[in-house]
Amino acid sequence: MAWIHGWLGLLAGWILFAMFLTGTASYFRPEITQWMQPEFRAKPVTSAHAAESAVAHMQRVGADDLQWYVYLPDARTAVTRVFEQRKPDPKAPRRRAPEIVLDPATGDVVRARETRGGEHFYRFHFQLQLPHPWGRWLAGLCAMFMLGAIVSGVITHKRIFADFFTLRWNKGQRSWLDAHNVSAVLALPYHAMITYTGLITLVAMYMPWPVTANYAKPADFAQAAFGTPTERAAQGTAKPLVAIGPLVADAERRFGAPVATLVVRNPNDAASRVTLYRHANASLNGRGPSVTYAGSDGRFLEGAGGVGPALATAGVMLGLHVAQFAGPALRWAYFVLGLTGAAMVGTGLLLWTAKRRKPGATPFFGLKLVERLNIGVIAGLPIGMAAYLLANRLIPAETANRADAEVATMFWTWGAVAVLQVLRPARRAWTEGFAIGAAAFAAIPVVDTLTTSRGLPGSILTGDTLFAAFDFAMLAIAAMLALGAWRSARSRPVAKIRKPQSETVHA
Amino acid sequence: MFMHGRILKPGPFPKGRTVRPVVWTMALRSTTALVGGYAAAAVLATLLARLLPIARVEATNWGMVLSFAIYAGIALWCFHEHRVLRVAALVWGIALVGGGLLWLLGVRP
Repeated sequence: MAWIHGWLGLLAGWILFAMFLTGTASYFRPEITQWMQPEFRAKPVTSAHAAESAVAHMQRVGADDLQWYVYLPDARTAVTRVFEQRKPDPKAPRRRAPEIVLDPATGDVVRARETRGGEHFYRFHFQLQLPHPWGRWLAGLCAMFMLGAIVSGVITHKRIFADFFTLRWNKGQRSWLDAHNVSAVLALPYHAMITYTGLITLVAMYMPWPVTANYAKPADFAQAAFGTPTERAAQGTAKPLVAIGPLVADAERRFGAPVATLVVRNPNDAASRVTLYRHANASLNGRGPSVTYAGSDGRFLEGAGGVGPALATAGVMLGLHVAQFAGPALRWAYFVLGLTGAAMVGTGLLLWTAKRRKPGATPFFGLKLVERLNIGVIAGLPIGMAAYLLANRLIPAETANRADAEVATMFWTWGAVAVLQVLRPARRAWTEGFAIGAAAFAAIPVVDTLTTSRGLPGSILTGDTLFAAFDFAMLAIAAMLALGAWRSARSRPVAKIRKPQSETVHA
Repeated sequence: MFMHGRILKPGPFPKGRTVRPVVWTMALRSTTALVGGYAAAAVLATLLARLLPIARVEATNWGMVLSFAIYAGIALWCFHEHRVLRVAALVWGIALVGGGLLWLLGVRP
């Protein structure tokens, strides 16, 4: 099992490291988006008001759409996001209409710099910037490798209890093994949970076969499982949509919790339907109940959500993964645990090279390749992520296609670092990579102060907690990377463990 | 594990063979674990979903929720069991027999 543990970790390790890091950032997806649109300040409004203003806007721009999908703002999200599905036009090519971002207070389109915000990290976390569906398949494959690595890693550990308390510094391979064990064993419940629930988030794509065995039409399963309202064609007779605010208020009374999402199907048709979904912060179950009303007269039609144990299990697994239920303290705990996940994968990758390096011997090709890939991903990706945030402040706010330019900046920077580090000796490349990362993250609050009015001194003085916390988090990450640079500069190559010991040295 | 022991000790190779037999057995083992393991896990999860005598939507979800645990178990067993032919026969056998059974059963009425 030790052998397969090493190979599973090695083959999927680099992608898993990137998935852990961007996934960890995604716990703060709405906050990152808010930080990346500094022009827009959130004015808290009720969800009923936000729904009214969004529907008023959509009545102006898309009154004859097939469907409006409205994500309402909440305590962490400043804007209303709307996806409209237009009626299929046989002449025009099928294209997804762009997302509409609205000011919840007024219903006007938000005037702020164009950006993908935290959504970019979130999407990369499971789509890996590859065309659909290949990114999701690759992410799923790597998650499966991770699951195999976790199970085989646990089997490998006969001394799992002792490993809780063992960390020997400056002992070369032994230290990397200890660091790998500590990061993996301490947070093992988190690693196992996040890996399995991650697979569950896309189970309908990865494992659709139970559905096909039980349902002639997969849509029937979605209807039964997730309360997707019964599909009803438009009647073709116009009938204006009722006021949406009272429907939201009624749904919130039924849920005892805020409404998060609002779907209007066939607006302004006699057969229009309004479905409201409960906010995910109301329960561990990530799939909240929904209620559906007739859009023409506001009649309550159906409620979905009283689910059995299997559906509740799946829903709670989803909820545990996306952590929408978590308050600030638990969210930070998730963040730290996510970083231990990245540390576990990273130390595992380093252990692979440490175990195979022989003092005085010329490293073989595979060792050099793995070492360079390790540097390119472990030291390189943080630089790319910092470049994405810096690009948000440095690309002029009015530039066309600047959202794509921000994303491109991240990947070009990461790619350039990964290629150029080959020119440096490996040990120097580690130190310099971490140092550049530290400098880039430390530069973020500075650039923020220079280019916006919400920089660090100002945000503390005005009580702008989100911006202050974000900038402090950047400084903390810079400090961690600086520590990495310092340690890698200090470390001397240590002779391999002299005496073979009884415990398992895997990888 | 199989890394230690007879497979690593190269026996006398037949003449003209350029690829070591260990590569073939490893390829068979890995393919069986990755592809066969998925097929067998999918078939077992789907049989569970199809045959559990509870509500259709619940049975479907139990199958889906448990499928990855079944997959992980089968895939790791492929590397635990020494005899590669036994691995291939059992895993692909489950996939084929279970798949045939599901085909005979058809969609739940």
